[in-house]
Amino acid sequence: MDIYIQLALSGLFIGGVYALISVGLTLVFGVLRVVNFAHGEYLTIAMYLTYFMFQRVGIDPFVASVAVVPLMFVLGLVTERLLIRPTLEAPHVVQVFVTFALSLLLQNLLLTLFTSDFRSIRTPYATAAFQIGPLYVSWLRVAVFVVALMLAGGLAAFLKYTYIGSAIRATAQDRRSARLVGINVDQVYAVTFALGCALVGAAGILLSPLFPVNPYTGADMILISFVVVVLGGMGSIAGAVVAGLSIGIVESFTGYFAGGELKQLVYFVLFMVVLAVRPNGLFGRKGAEVMDVT
Amino acid sequence: MKPAHSPLTGLLLPAAGFVALAVLPLIFSDAFFVAAVTLALLGAAASLAWNLSGGYAGQLSLGHAAFYGIGAYVSTILFLKAGISPLIGMWLGAIVSAALAVFLGAITMRLKGSFFVMSTLAFGAVVHISAINLRDLTGGPSGLAIPLRPSPENLIFAKKLVYTYVALVLVIVFYAVTRMIAVSKVGYALVAFRENHQAARALGIRTLPLRIGVFALSAGLISICGSVHAQYYLYVDPDSVMGLNLSLNFALMAIVGGLGTAYGPIVGALLVSVVSVVMQVYLGDQISGLTQLAYAAIVILVLLAAPTGLGPSVHAFLKRSAIWRS
Repeated sequence: MDIYIQLALSGLFIGGVYALISVGLTLVFGVLRVVNFAHGEYLTIAMYLTYFMFQRVGIDPFVASVAVVPLMFVLGLVTERLLIRPTLEAPHVVQVFVTFALSLLLQNLLLTLFTSDFRSIRTPYATAAFQIGPLYVSWLRVAVFVVALMLAGGLAAFLKYTYIGSAIRATAQDRRSARLVGINVDQVYAVTFALGCALVGAAGILLSPLFPVNPYTGADMILISFVVVVLGGMGSIAGAVVAGLSIGIVESFTGYFAGGELKQLVYFVLFMVVLAVRPNGLFGRKGAEVMDVT
Repeated sequence: MKPAHSPLTGLLLPAAGFVALAVLPLIFSDAFFVAAVTLALLGAAASLAWNLSGGYAGQLSLGHAAFYGIGAYVSTILFLKAGISPLIGMWLGAIVSAALAVFLGAITMRLKGSFFVMSTLAFGAVVHISAINLRDLTGGPSGLAIPLRPSPENLIFAKKLVYTYVALVLVIVFYAVTRMIAVSKVGYALVAFRENHQAARALGIRTLPLRIGVFALSAGLISICGSVHAQYYLYVDPDSVMGLNLSLNFALMAIVGGLGTAYGPIVGALLVSVVSVVMQVYLGDQISGLTQLAYAAIVILVLLAAPTGLGPSVHAFLKRSAIWRS
């Protein structure tokens, strides 16, 4: 029995980070109607930034976030301006492959600069744990989980209660009407895309004391994130959180019972089943994913 | 709509191109050059197969490496375990791939744009992971080696130049298939679907069976390329015949050259290999990733500056300047 609770807990904790990665992806899709296939590389970049700040300057990852998150936001603004905005009206193939090529570009840029070596941050508190009954719980994992959920909650509040948040939601619902009521849609796109990058950057910071980084880390994570985003419903923040936590738990159990490689197989098969049976996911708006053709 | 081909561009130009490709490796018989041409042609054939579904119907699959890999594995496993010639094995691989494509297509063909792309990504990952884990059948991550026993009926040749012509034959046949489909009712229906699926439906064109059919054909043809790949390298492993990068390359070659045109994938594959050969010669392999970096940058530039691909863009440019002159 204890082992099940232990598995559920560790799945839940990592699921918090999956949720945070996916929230950024789903937000960008909901507003710009673009799937950013390079989303994972922003995670990798944030992890490298955090690593070097820790290794070269000795700044703790949680403190480094003060610099890394704004940097990721700016990187998002630049990317949107250079690659996303010029292709928003382009054929679908251009949109898909611009972000795919960007992913390839960033991966290989990181590979050229830092080689494919794994680099990890060793913090003094990484192994600190407390005990509840028979369970051991890592402080770090709890902290990561709590911060991830707070950030996702913070985003939801931001979208609900601020003016920019309302503008973002209005644009997501109907970009033409949003423009008619005087919303600067281009600006909304830029801010949304940058927010997505900042959020995945935050997820990268949270992951860096737990996992080593190499140029392909983000690419591995992003596939999980696709599963999460589609399961939760493309464009739905709440969906991404619920699905992120669920996938974390599913992964933890299959990893324990079926082994490392097969756990991936399980969630990809799950992914295809979701796409086949309910492509708008748990909370998604209908209509974005299926066409009514024969 | 596309005008009918003139005899010059329709027949003479492609024929001249194929003859040039056939003669080139005879003149420059350097092993490095022959290998580069062979791989470019094999890539062109695979990209032609991808383009049938990805280009004409706009079904942007990023799971085609799965079919390529199935072709490589089925012919190799049959050859190693049952002694069946790859010449037969490649057809069985193609049938397996086409059958899987029908199954996948039936599930995913109603998905829109990016959702379809993601479903094919997941499919590619499922097949890739399965190949790694079915150790008894596939040899796991370390793969399978084919013993070098040269004989035409085993599709194993001591002289690598023979593979160049095998690949060239594939390119010519796939090109011809593409041209035939492009001017058929099926081809026009696919393009109508790609350009505006609602309008196509309003006109009463039922594209679903056609799209699934062409997807299966595309999978079967690319599977044959995979079988030839295995015979060329005499070695198969999951990452080199099923990796995501392979799927991406099939698509990018067609996109760079000209998506949804018969010559596009060939132009794209040749350009890509020229770039990679030049990069390798001048930069060497010491900095891993630099070649891919340059490749990605070129792809982004092409997508931004010539979103229809280089072939059609150059064509449009020549046409414009011709009108200007007259």
